[in-house]
Amino acid sequence: MVSADPGSFRDPASRVVHDGARVLRLLDEQGLVAWLALKATPFFEKAVADGRLIQTEETSDFPVDAAGVLEHPRLPVITYPYEWTFSMLKDAALLQLDLLADALAEGITIKDATPFNIQFVSGRPIFIDLGSFEAYRSGEPWIGYQQFTRQFLFPLMLRAWVGLPFQPWLRGDMEGPTAGEMKLLLSKGQKLRPSALMHVSLQARMEDRMSGTAVREDLKDAGFNADLILANVRKLRRLVESLEWDHEVEGWSDYESCSHVGRDRYVKSEFLEGVLDRTQPGLVADLGANDGHFSDIAAESGALAVAIDGDEPVLDDLYQRSRGKNISIIVSDLANPTPSQGWAGQERPGLFERVKPDVVIAYGVIHHLIYTASIPPRAVMEWLRSFDCVVAVEFVAPEDEMVAKLTANKLARELHHGRTEKEFRGIIADMFDVRSERTLESGTRILFELEPRQNY
Amino acid sequence: MTFAYLDAGSGSLILQAVLGGIAGIVVAFKAWKARMVGRRAVAAVEDTDSITDETALTSEP
Repeated sequence: MVSADPGSFRDPASRVVHDGARVLRLLDEQGLVAWLALKATPFFEKAVADGRLIQTEETSDFPVDAAGVLEHPRLPVITYPYEWTFSMLKDAALLQLDLLADALAEGITIKDATPFNIQFVSGRPIFIDLGSFEAYRSGEPWIGYQQFTRQFLFPLMLRAWVGLPFQPWLRGDMEGPTAGEMKLLLSKGQKLRPSALMHVSLQARMEDRMSGTAVREDLKDAGFNADLILANVRKLRRLVESLEWDHEVEGWSDYESCSHVGRDRYVKSEFLEGVLDRTQPGLVADLGANDGHFSDIAAESGALAVAIDGDEPVLDDLYQRSRGKNISIIVSDLANPTPSQGWAGQERPGLFERVKPDVVIAYGVIHHLIYTASIPPRAVMEWLRSFDCVVAVEFVAPEDEMVAKLTANKLARELHHGRTEKEFRGIIADMFDVRSERTLESGTRILFELEPRQNY
Repeated sequence: MTFAYLDAGSGSLILQAVLGGIAGIVVAFKAWKARMVGRRAVAAVEDTDSITDETALTSEP
């Protein structure tokens, strides 16, 4: 059955549809002209060969009324910029600029500049929107400049200069902060930096004064040319390169120093290997992935591991060492996972509409949902049951030293039913069959391999 | 004019010329000047129109 991709409708020249497992791009006459111009360049062949551009084949075995049809490989997991770490957005920004510079050198431009056109495969960004390329027309400015600043540059500045995470902003406003909004966020000193004077203050002022006036013909007549775009892109590249985020001392970065972590790690790894061996999953969701130790094990078993955690610093480190590995990284708070949003509430599907695992790892995570986020244990287990797949879960008893810390300021009557081992076993018995279990050395933690009961 | 599904922002387009360096500043200035001259020309035409209209009104028998 053919269905339109809910996020591909803005550009009438090029639309993505799904035909079963196939990913097809339908081109109108204008889209076809743009594709033929791109296909004829050495740039296209090279960018595909070095993994910067998605593979693309022309296809004719699709009965549809379109001027041209292209086919792309299906990516197993789609992620969005508000789920990326700082380094991921930075690498995506550099890819966007490099592709534009390389394409312009061969007479092709990229007509937009949004991170939604970029995905990550094996720890590297890859550009997926072939419809963004078209022949450069002499005298035209870079239409995507403003979008680049709002969706790449300003979010990176927000983290590197102001110290604020960009994900909540991009999740709340997918267009990204405007130059005017950035002006309000930067300090006086930051606003005086040459790059901020240009991209933030001057852009805000010019946008204010010139809103709605047609200037493209004026620029063309005044002698605008591709060299000016290239000069701007080179400077933007240096600016993006210079943006750094020092994240040594935040959140869970000292996770490995927790006493139970090193002690239990070997046993938990061994238990997981057994689960993976019995299940042979294609996709593993590692909930509360932290430093990605168990995602590594899942990836090494041949699965795609999706490492999900709310803690950006540890995931940024994981990203840095994920190149070449079959690991996808998603920054998301499990107590508040990315919702579906955008046009009609469907343009950008929610996290677990995109991640459909064959195995879920929930090590060292459910006690945080139960005690920190105050989610009832039964609701947590119902959520895990909703994945309808094998779950490797770590139960942490109320007597555990970590639980004692998490509940230090809570009274017993403020805590939910289902916390004790006996109560917990009662909850899981309704939803799952226990395939195997193992008590860790502390005696307060138990690993369960759970298989969903079909009649639940 | 090239088709664009994206609203690029008029000020941001002119700014790009400035960001392109000295050669770009010249381009931006020329584009700005053309805009100013254009605006004056439009204003002049509008003035002429209104005068003509007034004349038309007053010349009514």
